[in-house]
Amino acid sequence: MMSLTDPSLAVVVRKQIQFKMKSCIGMFSTLIVLQLIALVFSFGGTGMMGGTRSSLEYEMNYYSADIILVFTMLWAFINAILIKTKDYREDDFVFVTNRVSSNLSNIVLLLIVSIVGAITAMLSSYLLRIGIYFFSDNKEIIYTEVEFLELLTGIIAAGLFIFLFSGLGYIIGTLVQLNKTFAFIIPVVFLGFIFLVEMSSEVHLLLEIGKFYFNEESFWLLTSKTIMTSGLLFTAAMLVSNRLEVKQ
Amino acid sequence: MKVVECNELTKEHGQRKALSNLSVTIEENKITGLIGRNGSGKTTLLKILAGFWAESSGQVNVFSNRPFNSLFVSANTVFVDDQMNFPTALTLKEILEQASKFYEKWDMDLALRLFDYFSFDSKQIHNNLSKGNRSTFNMIIGLASRCALTIFDEPTTGMDAAVRKDFYRALLKDYLAHPRSIIISSHYLDELEVVLEDVLLIEEGSNLLHMPIEELKEYAIGLSGSSDQIDGWISDIDVVHTNTVGLDSKYAAVKNDFTGEALEQIKRSGVQVSSVSPGDLCVYLTQTTTGGIDDVFDRS
Repeated sequence: MMSLTDPSLAVVVRKQIQFKMKSCIGMFSTLIVLQLIALVFSFGGTGMMGGTRSSLEYEMNYYSADIILVFTMLWAFINAILIKTKDYREDDFVFVTNRVSSNLSNIVLLLIVSIVGAITAMLSSYLLRIGIYFFSDNKEIIYTEVEFLELLTGIIAAGLFIFLFSGLGYIIGTLVQLNKTFAFIIPVVFLGFIFLVEMSSEVHLLLEIGKFYFNEESFWLLTSKTIMTSGLLFTAAMLVSNRLEVKQ
Repeated sequence: MKVVECNELTKEHGQRKALSNLSVTIEENKITGLIGRNGSGKTTLLKILAGFWAESSGQVNVFSNRPFNSLFVSANTVFVDDQMNFPTALTLKEILEQASKFYEKWDMDLALRLFDYFSFDSKQIHNNLSKGNRSTFNMIIGLASRCALTIFDEPTTGMDAAVRKDFYRALLKDYLAHPRSIIISSHYLDELEVVLEDVLLIEEGSNLLHMPIEELKEYAIGLSGSSDQIDGWISDIDVVHTNTVGLDSKYAAVKNDFTGEALEQIKRSGVQVSSVSPGDLCVYLTQTTTGGIDDVFDRS
């Protein structure tokens, strides 16, 4: 009798991650392009104030790398949707896989991608300062000194936000895969719900959600909020896609 | 050991039944040809066996496991068709390397030798290959992965006659060196005949017949002679197919239940007796319409 192989889930997931890191190299090049574009936007400054006092006239420009982070989050969101489209999805099934291993490797890939995105986004603030120094007429630059530990927390927090957005994209991608009409239903329901809530109770839902996640002062609360939400999103996506058929 | 076991397997696509109550058992280390007309459910069956699609009802087991969502079945099965999707970021050589990591019994030496023989360029991208070359490359993946269950769904799509011949030969040689269970679906039974051991003929999602190719060759005989004569002989036996030739001649393929004596009698009456090739037989057996395409144009 021919011998049969019985690989463990962990082994298959590890191989798939390596496979996907190779095949999704395009994701990283789009990341670099996007962050460069965001960097150019950031040169414009995010805020400005000025005034005169007796013979003194002054003008202050605020610069921040927030736009780069926002772009990176959008990138993660779109990537997570893309990874669920027909082409990427069926790449998995050409070799050894089942739906669980396919989802797990996707999640790990998105996590890696989020960390890379967070590191480059956070470090780009240094690039921004250098850029301003060389390209701006105002040579006086006041900046906040960031200690290494602070930078590290910043990267982790940014990574978690990016991962959260990829979780959102992943569940949307999965639902659209389940039924194409979700591509229309989701935005309509989402926007409709926001309008309804705002009309009836004067609460702007998007703003509230934004506050809930982004205005969190405590690092640990922020971490648990984002991890729990993305965990929920990914689990839901896995449960939905466990019944899905491929190659059609 | 039974590699594939289907019991009352049914698959519904919306209202239409692609497979209906199909029951079949495939023993290990056999090359089975899956034959059927367009839309008879060949691909549906193979995709269920590979674990891509879920059955609607009935049981299906591959290596005693339900294939849908089974990592075990996936690790021991390779499914080759012309729709295989490889990442566009990888070159052909890189695809082979990735495949070797996934399939434990992968034979890189064989893969590379076939790769060179069919003069592939290692820098090429799978998406840019011609239809025939794509099928050829997919075939290399199918052979080199040495999976205990190797499934080829219309593997020769787009291949020219020379490559098709090479493929059948490569398949047979590799099978003899490393016996395993292979299922090939195809329209071209005549070409495939030499490599097959068993034939599974399906029609409208059901198992029409499943037998060794040698038996299939003996399954029916063809009788040709004048219409009166033929009609006389076939009045009370199992007729598979009849065809009127010219004004007064008739050809009939009938189930071969004759004794030697009866056959002698038929021959002596002036009727020509011939064998029916498995390819023709399968076409006759799966004919859904009465008459042939000629009758569409024959309005008289």
